[in-house]
Amino acid sequence: MKKLLNNPDDYADQTLDGLCLAHPEFYTRGGESGRVIHRTGGAVAGKVGIVSGGGSGHLPVFTGYCGEGLLDACSIGNVFAGPSVADCIDAMKIADGGAGVLRLYGNYGGDCMNFDMAGEMLEIEGLESTTVLVADDVASAPPEEAEKRRGVAGMIYAFKIAGAKASAGASLAEVTATAQKAADACRSIGVALTPCTVPEAGKPTFEIAADEIEMGMGIHGEPGIWRGKMKPADEVAAEMLDRLLADQPLENGDRISVLVNSLGATPHEELYILYRYLAKRFDDLGVTVVMPLVGRYATSMEMTGASLTICKLDSELEELLHAPANCAFWRIG
Amino acid sequence: MNWNTKDLQNWLCQCADRMIASAPELNELDGQLGDGDLGATLEKCGKLMQDGLSEETDTPADVFKVCAMACSRASGSSFGTLMAVAFMTLAKETNGKNALACGDVEPLLGKVLEALMARGKASLGDKTMLDSIEAIRLAAANLTESAALPKIAVAAASSAQEEYRDKPNRIGRARMFAEKSIGLNDPGMVAVVRIISSGRDQN
Repeated sequence: MKKLLNNPDDYADQTLDGLCLAHPEFYTRGGESGRVIHRTGGAVAGKVGIVSGGGSGHLPVFTGYCGEGLLDACSIGNVFAGPSVADCIDAMKIADGGAGVLRLYGNYGGDCMNFDMAGEMLEIEGLESTTVLVADDVASAPPEEAEKRRGVAGMIYAFKIAGAKASAGASLAEVTATAQKAADACRSIGVALTPCTVPEAGKPTFEIAADEIEMGMGIHGEPGIWRGKMKPADEVAAEMLDRLLADQPLENGDRISVLVNSLGATPHEELYILYRYLAKRFDDLGVTVVMPLVGRYATSMEMTGASLTICKLDSELEELLHAPANCAFWRIG
Repeated sequence: MNWNTKDLQNWLCQCADRMIASAPELNELDGQLGDGDLGATLEKCGKLMQDGLSEETDTPADVFKVCAMACSRASGSSFGTLMAVAFMTLAKETNGKNALACGDVEPLLGKVLEALMARGKASLGDKTMLDSIEAIRLAAANLTESAALPKIAVAAASSAQEEYRDKPNRIGRARMFAEKSIGLNDPGMVAVVRIISSGRDQN
């Protein structure tokens, strides 16, 4: 294992330490175990709180998106390991400004179990909360089992849009409905070129030949749709786009936002090579791209590869996407 | 004969010891199909349970509550959370009792199974620890002598593990490797045997 670390067991905690030291204006550690990152300044009185969470290893997801117009708090586990129920409870308490809390996170069994349990335990104490799961990875289950899909990069659109809705003073029910609409509007697919190594495990999450890629692989190395020989970028982009369009067709006049995301090690250069092809295809379709995002938004440590997310917009989603937001990794307005 | 608060506390302390001791084996086993953190999860749960159980508790429900809180703090891994759910259910169901009798075991395990299925979305037959608990529940149905429980439980959980070895995993990460899981012991089912074997040693 070749990584800049001190001790694998300290990896997540030392990352969080550094994150807060570098950006104290945005991030503060909290919770009994220190595994909650929340907006510096804490809950905003009267605003619906939004919490997310999951394993470390995906920065800027999850903790990086705490900030104005985004998330209020995140519970965070070790690399690729979910946060504990106690951390989820602490995150929700910290995010609670008196108007209820939305739990907004990716659809993974362990995280659902823990956040649900935290929600039930706080319900006894009178904290009102709701859940919206992001399940945008089309490669992880067919359309008829869409509720089983995993949550990947599309969650950043849900964070942004739900965060803007909450900042605008909407009620918990309204924020929940809009967050659900944003989550439902997103479709994503990833392609992996090389694996990453979880520090605590010390070995790569999967093996793949030097000349092979895997279409549809999940952000923790979950098996994808096919594995085969490397192809030109345009062909890879075409297949990713076609798979998303097959799941959510787009028509002339539609407005979308597009995220071409690095899984970690893939450079911006290659993301732009992919975007170059995609932009032409959207143009041919008569689809307008609003606020294209190209960069590292949801990663899988040092995995090489990229994901493509399309968020289909209506006027409400588009307006909320453009609303001001500020964190160390994403600033709008 | 009954189990009083002290008996339960002692028994769970021994379970916690075994959770810690079996960590390397379970990590290895889990690494074949899952994310390889089952042992680490149990080790954390075990240590926190030991801390919690070192303090005096009044009733069986308190003992179970201490364990539930310990496991809910331990980690984000599903197994830890499910242990918390199981202990929370036991705490709820034994509320008001000063001791547990032989006849309590079967219905209590039934409640635990219900709660685990509701929370974890697994069913009986998926090749998980639920199948081990179900085997223990059935074996404990006619229990008349409390001292006989550890032996009966270990035998039931061991034979469930054997019975399921050649079946595929139908839930969780191992589901994605269903074919590969045939012929392998389910790590969670092995964990159940390891954890309750402390009861046998106590005997």
